[in-house]
Amino acid sequence: MARILVVEDNERLARLIADGLTAQGHVCDCVLSLGAADDALHAAQFDGLVLDLGLPDGDGVDWLRQRTGAVPPVLVLTARDALEDRIRGLDAGADDYLPKPFEMRELAARLRALLRRPGGRHDAILTLANLVYDPAGQSVQVDKAALDLTRREAALIELLLRRAGQVVRRAVIENSLYTFDEAVTPNAVEAVVSRLRRKLDEAGAAVELHTIRGVGYMVRARAA
Amino acid sequence: MSRPPSITGRLTNSLALVGGIGAVLLLIVIGIEYRISFSNLSNHDALVQALHELSEHVLLPMAVLILPMALAGRWAIKSGVKPLIAAARQIDARADETRGVRVDITHFPVEARPFAEAINRVLGRVDHAAALHEAFAADIAHELRTPLTLLSLELDRLDYPEAERMRGDVAQMRRLIDQLMLLAQVDADRAAHVPPARLDLGDIAAEVIAQLAPIALDQERRLALEGDVPLLIHGRREAIAAALRNLIENALRVTPPHGTVTVRTAPSEGGEDVLLAVRDEGPGLAPDELLALVERHRRADHASRDGAGLGLAIVERIMRAHGGRLSASPETHEIVLHFPAALASG
Repeated sequence: MARILVVEDNERLARLIADGLTAQGHVCDCVLSLGAADDALHAAQFDGLVLDLGLPDGDGVDWLRQRTGAVPPVLVLTARDALEDRIRGLDAGADDYLPKPFEMRELAARLRALLRRPGGRHDAILTLANLVYDPAGQSVQVDKAALDLTRREAALIELLLRRAGQVVRRAVIENSLYTFDEAVTPNAVEAVVSRLRRKLDEAGAAVELHTIRGVGYMVRARAA
Repeated sequence: MSRPPSITGRLTNSLALVGGIGAVLLLIVIGIEYRISFSNLSNHDALVQALHELSEHVLLPMAVLILPMALAGRWAIKSGVKPLIAAARQIDARADETRGVRVDITHFPVEARPFAEAINRVLGRVDHAAALHEAFAADIAHELRTPLTLLSLELDRLDYPEAERMRGDVAQMRRLIDQLMLLAQVDADRAAHVPPARLDLGDIAAEVIAQLAPIALDQERRLALEGDVPLLIHGRREAIAAALRNLIENALRVTPPHGTVTVRTAPSEGGEDVLLAVRDEGPGLAPDELLALVERHRRADHASRDGAGLGLAIVERIMRAHGGRLSASPETHEIVLHFPAALASG
């Protein structure tokens, strides 16, 4: 699916990550140092970068900040998980951050979300169970049958699908669904969600649209 | 039981002794001076005369000297000891601090300084030892992360039914390591007097719930947040998030399937505190049961079966580091975190 560069100095860990990502259908290259990462990025085009922070020839965050030219979306791996380090990493241009120890499915899910983000080179069509969303036409299909959605419902499902399996905070939804001038009543988003949920259920979509009261909303595939 | 020695008592005793010896010496001196002997005290007039002389030259000077000396001595001791008592009170007032405590010797009398300085040197060594100990614990936790990642990734490749259970064990170890590192961080920050950040409790709660909601849904339980006014406190975001995560995980364990764990943020009734409460749908925890759970792990007696106690002990430590506390309210099925509210100007 996508070509990933793994920058990790622990050889066994690098191999395990590469094996796991290969099993997910990605093509993986492993390098053990920042110097080798520079060479690899120069030689080939990558869709994503998995970067360990403590490497023998320097700090991953500094390297990221100093790099010029296009860098693919970066997922930073680190044993440091204090908030300050996380902010430093994100400021330097990391797109997401995964503290060690992690599980393969966690890494795969984060990477999938990263490749799905706007700006990522990855195919723009979003798929979840039997639901297919095409951002270009803002159109939704369930089992290949088109679903008729309003502009706001389509924007909402796109937002939720880009972070499928994760909770999207209500404030984020309000900000992207409504302009500054539009007054958002507390129940406005909930009303859009209810309509969308009903339409998805009626079309037989195998997805669940959850309300996490007081926090936000989440879409995910219905458990078999 | 004998009473501990007292400086005032000793002074009184010494003055009494000095007075006694002085009186005897004076009696002898006066006896020689006035040639008073026991033989010529037989007639009444001579006796009266002698007693008069004695009271004038012995008792009066003694009374004039000894009484003011005794009073002045008592006063000198009292005022000399006052800084010591004040320092003791000051140290007692900081009972919740275990690190960086020193005796303030600026007002100490010179005589008491060597003792106070020796105590301060011991306290310094204790602090240093505690810091080394914490750094060591943090290092171990840190070093365990890479092997644990390897273990976790290797397990992912196994396709045995047992692997899932082992994955759960690894996840448990991972949580413990996270919490140990967090505690070390909180303690280190307190020792280094890192200023806490201003945080909105509601925002932290929403973030933690967003992280845990998918896991709760996997277990057929729901999470909800009540209260949406911003409530500002001073603290460390990661530590407070970890405390809340612990409480929610415990609440999920005792809540039956299809139940809801509700997190509530609110100002306290008086308004000086900010509350973060976690309500479960389980049997409820009485305040003394909560105390017992926390105590048990504070004493490092690892007797709890489900690991909830260690989590609560960590929550309690985090709360103390924030100048707050942990309480249980069985009638509302809530465990409540109390934070001192951040003042608008602060």
